[in-house]
Amino acid sequence: MSADSNVKVRLNNSELWGGLIGLGLGIFVVQSGLKLKLGTIHEPGPGFVLFYAGILICAFAATIVVAALTEGGPTFGSRWKDARWAKPVIVIACLTAFAFALDPLGFLLAAIPLTLLLMRQIDPVRWSLAVPISILVPTGIWWLLKHALGIQLPSGSFGIG
Amino acid sequence: MDTLVNVAHGFGVALAPINLLYCFLGVFIGTLVGVLPGIGPISAMSLLLPVTLSGTPESGIIMMAGIYYGSMYGGSTTSILVNIPGEAASVVTCIDGHQMAKQGRAGPALGIAAFGSFIAGTFALVALMLVAPRLASVAIVFGPAEYFSLMALGLVVLTFLTQGSMVKALLMACIGVVLGLIGLDSITAQPRLTFGRMELMDGIGLVPVVMGLFGVAEVLLNTEQVIRRDIINAKITRLLPNKEDWKASAGPVGRGTVLGFFLGILPGGGAVVASFASYALEKRLSGTPERFGHGAIEGVAGPESANNAAAGGAFIPLMTLGIPPNVVMALLLGAFVVHGLQPGPLMIAQNPGLFWGIVASMYIGNLMLLVLNLPMIGMWVQLLKLPYNILFPLIILFTIIGVYCSGNNVFDVYVMIAFGVIGYFMRKLGYEPAPLVLAFVLGPMLENNLRKSLILSQGDLGIFVTRPISAVCLALALVLLIGPLLPSLRRKRELVALDEGA
Repeated sequence: MSADSNVKVRLNNSELWGGLIGLGLGIFVVQSGLKLKLGTIHEPGPGFVLFYAGILICAFAATIVVAALTEGGPTFGSRWKDARWAKPVIVIACLTAFAFALDPLGFLLAAIPLTLLLMRQIDPVRWSLAVPISILVPTGIWWLLKHALGIQLPSGSFGIG
Repeated sequence: MDTLVNVAHGFGVALAPINLLYCFLGVFIGTLVGVLPGIGPISAMSLLLPVTLSGTPESGIIMMAGIYYGSMYGGSTTSILVNIPGEAASVVTCIDGHQMAKQGRAGPALGIAAFGSFIAGTFALVALMLVAPRLASVAIVFGPAEYFSLMALGLVVLTFLTQGSMVKALLMACIGVVLGLIGLDSITAQPRLTFGRMELMDGIGLVPVVMGLFGVAEVLLNTEQVIRRDIINAKITRLLPNKEDWKASAGPVGRGTVLGFFLGILPGGGAVVASFASYALEKRLSGTPERFGHGAIEGVAGPESANNAAAGGAFIPLMTLGIPPNVVMALLLGAFVVHGLQPGPLMIAQNPGLFWGIVASMYIGNLMLLVLNLPMIGMWVQLLKLPYNILFPLIILFTIIGVYCSGNNVFDVYVMIAFGVIGYFMRKLGYEPAPLVLAFVLGPMLENNLRKSLILSQGDLGIFVTRPISAVCLALALVLLIGPLLPSLRRKRELVALDEGA
């Protein structure tokens, strides 16, 4: 095996990347703790616990990184083996779109397409069932919350809901 | 005598029509979420946390508690009939419960699970009534050092018992503490990690974090696999176990009850640990261990009793010390806090109606569950046939609404979605969310007590080792931290380590 492919194999290690993300987070927390002032041991400041929690995060993450480099670890492919990985990606995309649409469109105009999309995309529900459920359930909940519990869901710039 | 007077007072509170209604709603929803795989008590309790605001504290907490112990009953139905655990504490019931169902003995399996749960739930309540007030009177002398060490021990126990790498669990716990500290510093009111956003000044809400990590992430994980259900379609008849079944189950129910209760009290422990420990104990004590895995009724009776006893025992640290021993109790703590109540040593004395009312309602709830889970079993079986492709989008919709209603804030929905995605990748990479959530709840209390201890002792770290209770807790935590380095202890940990999810 060439040196180049060896590096590739080493980098395709989910444990390594998990540890590196932890390490980055730990360094950020340590820096934040320092910025907030540690105080003294007699009178700990607002950054005291953050700083030491950050140190611990770095220590644990470094342990994971070292173990990943010395013992290896599962590749990303093996973590998603036999999984329908596209399905969660679609759900995440739908949820992200919903998050962006919620404020400008309001709950009803954002939730009805979200429910319909999820019904059709996860494991397709037939249209004749998906459409009525996607309209009736969000509308029913919105009505119940507004009229029975007095909870106002976002109505968006169109004021619908 | 005092206890009897208090119990009578508690029944007076619990039997009020509105509290009976909330209790029924709680155990009904609990059974429902227990039966449905993919949504557990944690998601259901977070979803309904805002609803509790509309009633009195008693009603709200009675309903939340009902969801928890109700889910323990419901989980066994799915395990036995479908071979999919309805919630994490029923994983072990699948092994022998489903085998019994395949052999045409679904009725006795469901029956012994319900009766064992009822007996264990009753025992746990009696023990709770006797232990909690005494422990509360002892806990009054606890200072910040004791609280800090107890919470540290709780976190270490949970990381010890979490499935997979302990280093990863500890990393998650530390991240949880940091997330819990976001917002204004409780002493100096200085903003921490808020990135200039007003929404973060009060910190991140527990509900969006929990709903994201447990609700949305669970749905994402479930969507990537085709869920096949092997539902037992034969008509379920004769739910009452026969004489031989009772004879075989009496010991496991008794042992499971006692073991479950004590494991429930343990910080970081809980129903999941209890059910696995009970199964292992029964298999070890059995003269014919080879029957386990092939439909042994002891393998259903013991774990089901243990998880219900643990659910009752878990209320003790919360009610007497104000320390939630697991994620579910952390949510219940949230329910207390939204009503302006602080569980702890003084709560039983200051709010006797609340404490004894909750205890009495749990007894009534156990009776309701017996009715819900035996004569009405057919209804739950029908529910199991609900297709997941309809169920999952609806769960997502309900989580969004629940999170929005918890704070009337769109930002919370963003937080939930973000934590849903983070939670999905965490699970895929082998990082369990339970230590993160418990640390998230305990983080601010942990920091507060640490800083108070240091201020009171004028910077002397010896305060944590010179006070006996604190020293014992820290010593135990140290043993658990160092333990996994020894190969024999590591093997034992792997045997009991569990997935607290769902």
